[in-house]
Amino acid sequence: MINRRASISLIAALPALLTLPALLALPVGVVHPAQASTAGDRAAAFIKATGAKLVAAINATSGSPAQRRQVVGEIIGSTVDVDGVARFCLGRFWRTATPAQQQQYQSLFRTMLIVNIASKLGDYQGVTFTVGATQDREAGEIVSTVIARPNNAPTNIQWLVANATTDPKIIDVIAEGTSMRLTQRDDYASFLSQHGYSVDALIAALHNQLSQAG
Amino acid sequence: MPPAHHPRLTLAAMLLLLLGPLLGCATPPPANDPEAVADFNEANDPLEPTNRVLYKINDGLDTILLRPAALTYQAVVPEPVRTGVHNILSNLNTPVQLGNDVLEAKPRRAGDTTMRFLINTTLGVVGIFDVAKKLGYPNHDTDFGLTLALWGVPDGPFLFLPVLGPSNPRDAVGRGVDIVADPFTWVGKGAAVTALNWSRYGLTVLDERSQYLDAIASIKKTALDPYATFRSLYRQHRRAEIEAARNDDRGTVPVWFPQPQTTPKN
Repeated sequence: MINRRASISLIAALPALLTLPALLALPVGVVHPAQASTAGDRAAAFIKATGAKLVAAINATSGSPAQRRQVVGEIIGSTVDVDGVARFCLGRFWRTATPAQQQQYQSLFRTMLIVNIASKLGDYQGVTFTVGATQDREAGEIVSTVIARPNNAPTNIQWLVANATTDPKIIDVIAEGTSMRLTQRDDYASFLSQHGYSVDALIAALHNQLSQAG
Repeated sequence: MPPAHHPRLTLAAMLLLLLGPLLGCATPPPANDPEAVADFNEANDPLEPTNRVLYKINDGLDTILLRPAALTYQAVVPEPVRTGVHNILSNLNTPVQLGNDVLEAKPRRAGDTTMRFLINTTLGVVGIFDVAKKLGYPNHDTDFGLTLALWGVPDGPFLFLPVLGPSNPRDAVGRGVDIVADPFTWVGKGAAVTALNWSRYGLTVLDERSQYLDAIASIKKTALDPYATFRSLYRQHRRAEIEAARNDDRGTVPVWFPQPQTTPKN
């Protein structure tokens, strides 16, 4: 990145969301040697295995969109705590939603996640990733990886893994310092505040978005 | 040259004039809804109605002007040339970068910046090639907003600036200070210099925008409230950048000298 002062992109001085090589060089994963315990090791191994599965899915792009979605759905189903992430993203509105709304919302959230990821797979042809250090956090283990794509600056991605020693599940992805679940929660919260805090309005909007995504 | 004739300063003045009449404030939620009030405070966006108007204007300008320009830039100019342009622009920012490294009391970063300038300006042919990176002097982002943050200045409420995009009072002030502190703002005069300054400015816009084509398109497609998403991303990214600078305590001991024990920390 250059020249932040002059970074006057219109909507987006919105700097450096995804490709900020400078940050990569910084000591993201400084680990206590004593704490590089089994939890960290297991989380790292889990991310390595999950990454390998995703890379395999990416390289097998011969499938139709529907097939790709099925593969992505299977990988996500077994490696991501989708329902937990969905609850997190709805924030305080989860408690006030009716069971029917909760169910509808969670199912939409899962579909959205799969459709969004499946539609981006094509952009990741030739991707490689390296697993770096792990850090212990309250919410789980943070596993740092560097994602390299042809013709793109390497991207620093961190994975938050819960229950690393028992039933490891990804609960957040942090790209260059920006947490996906936090961003999503802020997006929903703002939408809800603009629509009378109506969970039904949110569900309708998600439906609408999904139908446009085809 | 009087300051107002400088492209970037002229622009800054225009922005201030534009901003004035648009000021409007967000209405806080009723006090009997403590959770809504907590959300409102957390968003820390008291100028939200104004900010949203400016976001819409910027977004419109982006759609008809910047995005097409960036797409054309990407399609017409070959990748190696674009990288060279990026590197030259980055090299031109060295004086400001070095000043901030020093003010932040980050000797290793200041050393990186100095070596990058010396190596890339010579071996890298006026900055076209980033040779220094391969030699172990990586680039890093910094600006006066970040320096202020390390000095303990809080960011303040969210601001969406015309043309410049997401910001806050601290970072906006920092941006102004960086412009004034940039020797290239003051060096030389005459039509040629003005033209060069505008070229640098225009290329910076193209360079940055073309790097975020995919990211911005995908946010606008998947976010229910793109404005709030950009707000959230800006803040998170900024925080991460500040923390990265704060935790960059690499020593300045030469490689051939016995290295001090690195103290692990979390």
